[in-house]
Amino acid sequence: MAIRLGSPKNILGRTPLTRRRALWGLALIAPNTLGLLFFFGIPVILSFVTAFHQWNGIKPPVFIGLDNFTKLLSDPMFWQSLGVTLKLLVFTVPIGAVLSLGVAILLNQKLHGRAVFRTIYFLPVITSTVAASIVWTWIFQAHYGLLDNLLAPIGGLDLNWLTRPDLVLIPVAVVTIWQRIGFYMVIFLAGLQNIPAILHEAALIDGATRWERFRYITLPMLSSTTFLIVVLSVIGSFQIFDQVFIMTARTNAGGVGGSATTMAYLLYQKGFVGAQFGYASAIGLAMFVIMLSVTVFQLRLQQRWVYYESTDG
Amino acid sequence: MVSTKRLSVLLLVVLLIGVLSLPAQAQDATAEATTSVTTAGATIPAAKCDQPGALTVRTWDENWAKTIKAATDAWVSEYCPGATVTVDQVPWSNYWDKLKVDASSGDLPDVFNLNQATGFYYADNGSLVDLTPYFAKSGIQSTIWGSGLVDPYRYGDNKDIYAAPMEWVTAAIYYNKDLFDKAGLAYPTAAWTWDDFAKDAAALTDKANGVYGAAVYAEYQAGWGGWVASEGVPPLVTQDRTTCTLTEPGSVDAFNFLKGMLDKGEMPTISQMGGSGADDEYNLFKSGKIGMYLGGNWKLPNAKTDLTFNWDIVQMPHNPKTGLSRAALHASAFAAASNSKDPALSANLVQYLISDEGQKFFADAGGTAPSDPSPALQQGWLAASGLNGKNVQAFIDATKDSQGTTQFSGDSIDKAYSDMMTNIFDLGMSVEDATKAACAAMAPDLTKAS
Repeated sequence: MAIRLGSPKNILGRTPLTRRRALWGLALIAPNTLGLLFFFGIPVILSFVTAFHQWNGIKPPVFIGLDNFTKLLSDPMFWQSLGVTLKLLVFTVPIGAVLSLGVAILLNQKLHGRAVFRTIYFLPVITSTVAASIVWTWIFQAHYGLLDNLLAPIGGLDLNWLTRPDLVLIPVAVVTIWQRIGFYMVIFLAGLQNIPAILHEAALIDGATRWERFRYITLPMLSSTTFLIVVLSVIGSFQIFDQVFIMTARTNAGGVGGSATTMAYLLYQKGFVGAQFGYASAIGLAMFVIMLSVTVFQLRLQQRWVYYESTDG
Repeated sequence: MVSTKRLSVLLLVVLLIGVLSLPAQAQDATAEATTSVTTAGATIPAAKCDQPGALTVRTWDENWAKTIKAATDAWVSEYCPGATVTVDQVPWSNYWDKLKVDASSGDLPDVFNLNQATGFYYADNGSLVDLTPYFAKSGIQSTIWGSGLVDPYRYGDNKDIYAAPMEWVTAAIYYNKDLFDKAGLAYPTAAWTWDDFAKDAAALTDKANGVYGAAVYAEYQAGWGGWVASEGVPPLVTQDRTTCTLTEPGSVDAFNFLKGMLDKGEMPTISQMGGSGADDEYNLFKSGKIGMYLGGNWKLPNAKTDLTFNWDIVQMPHNPKTGLSRAALHASAFAAASNSKDPALSANLVQYLISDEGQKFFADAGGTAPSDPSPALQQGWLAASGLNGKNVQAFIDATKDSQGTTQFSGDSIDKAYSDMMTNIFDLGMSVEDATKAACAAMAPDLTKAS
């Protein structure tokens, strides 16, 4: 009965039926796998190779070893962009998670028009980030913008949201959170609906208040969902680009003094504006290492606070 | 009556011949007027193509795209039957990024527009066809264009031509006559000064109705560059690109003059305009919220159709110290891509587009002034502008003493300049601090240029 490894016949199955099923399976996943290989795998490999070259995209690349990485470590723009990215992460991850949890809890109640509200909250997710950013740019425009006009009766703010280095990240964070809430709300809703009703009923019988049920039942039972959302939004925060690109394009691309230049935006600037493709690839590689480290750290940390319901009994 | 008309036309022709020679002297802001290098009245011939083929032409301007389409149709029927041309318009905001990406993948369109700041980059990277031999074959001398128009497109030891000028543009003040009437002001004349301009801006400002007197600083070409040049200082960097000029007293004075009006609420900030571009200024001008706007002659077709109030154009005011009214001058060009399947055919199309025949399409469109110095074409452009009663002549007069666009490239220069503008015109930083910071920030790229 020993299986002879390496034989295609055995890999696909031992009977004509299993082989046919296996072939069907392979055929069905082929489009996605090929797409992933061509549009993700190959660019990733090329980017890795390019990171060790000096290349302006037109002349032949020149191998320069680790020069791009040593330059990166001493480039104040890189460290500034890392700081900007971390600031956005700190803004958007907790606020986004808390707001989407709040909306999910609200829309988990038996409300009239619940489906309509769920759809409305989900709409930003399917809205193009570019289109949304343009609209939010108008909202945040000083003097003529919607926000300032709404606040006019109480004196208005007339703040230069999109140019002031101390304010520019607020509009970017608002758009990011606004667009994330719907998606995370759906995940939280699924998590909420997976909590056995019996737990809440037992707590009610024991006289637990609404807050106590939330604190000691809902939150712990949602910890695995919350963990997923935190991981996704941390990775998403490292990739913030469109919002910065659109919202600062007309006033001061990347913010005054790089105040809105995220790592992804710096990569774009160096690569596609400055034609330093090798250096941009090195930034991409650095982003990958940072994101991987943060995710591994989160995975390690989850053992302390994430509760997975056991199915073994 | 008839003789007066003829005399006027003759004078105009003489003036136009002079105008097209003047870009040559515009290169050095501090130089005195130099002699003309333009061969007045010379013709630029088109040539039959050897073999037809399929070409793509890319431009950034929607008005140009229409004109280029008409011109290329004529090229096909007259000079290259059987050829096909696709005109591709990519908006300015994406144009340069897309061009760079296409250059890196060897997918540049066969023929495309370049500006003076980018010509060197593409020539230096081997992306352009050397047009010199093709032009020489047809007897076209590059000296037919003023040096201010063509020199930025020369490359290599022999100063060969890698792109050919297709137009000339400069800037003047567009003003809202209705607002002038409302404020009881006399219309400005070519003799006006910065003081007159400032007084008019103050009088035109109507804070209660959200009307600003002026918006004239937004961009190098149709903005602050002209004000600094009128102080006798080359804007941004010296022509050899080794020295930042922003901290020179003339630059600082010009910026302080503009900022003074901004601080008094007579000009909108960048945030109030929603952008730092000349088009952002134009949009406010169009909506009747700006009394005076500094714009290029490329905006004439838009002004003709967009503006619903009475308006006119006047030359930039004269600096009271130097007496200069010096607007920035620029010429965009056509280049042929070296990655083209048929570089000779692409060069042939470029030659047609800058020839007397091709340029007639631009002249007849009335917006972009043709680079071809033929008096008939220049006259045709004026007539075709269809702006009877408007002082389009102001643009031609502006070229009499204009500032050639200083070429610059480099991330740090672009960013430093952009930050300086926001710092001064939006965040209230002093001109002295902002210009000093900008010069420090662009230092790495300036050193490289030397």
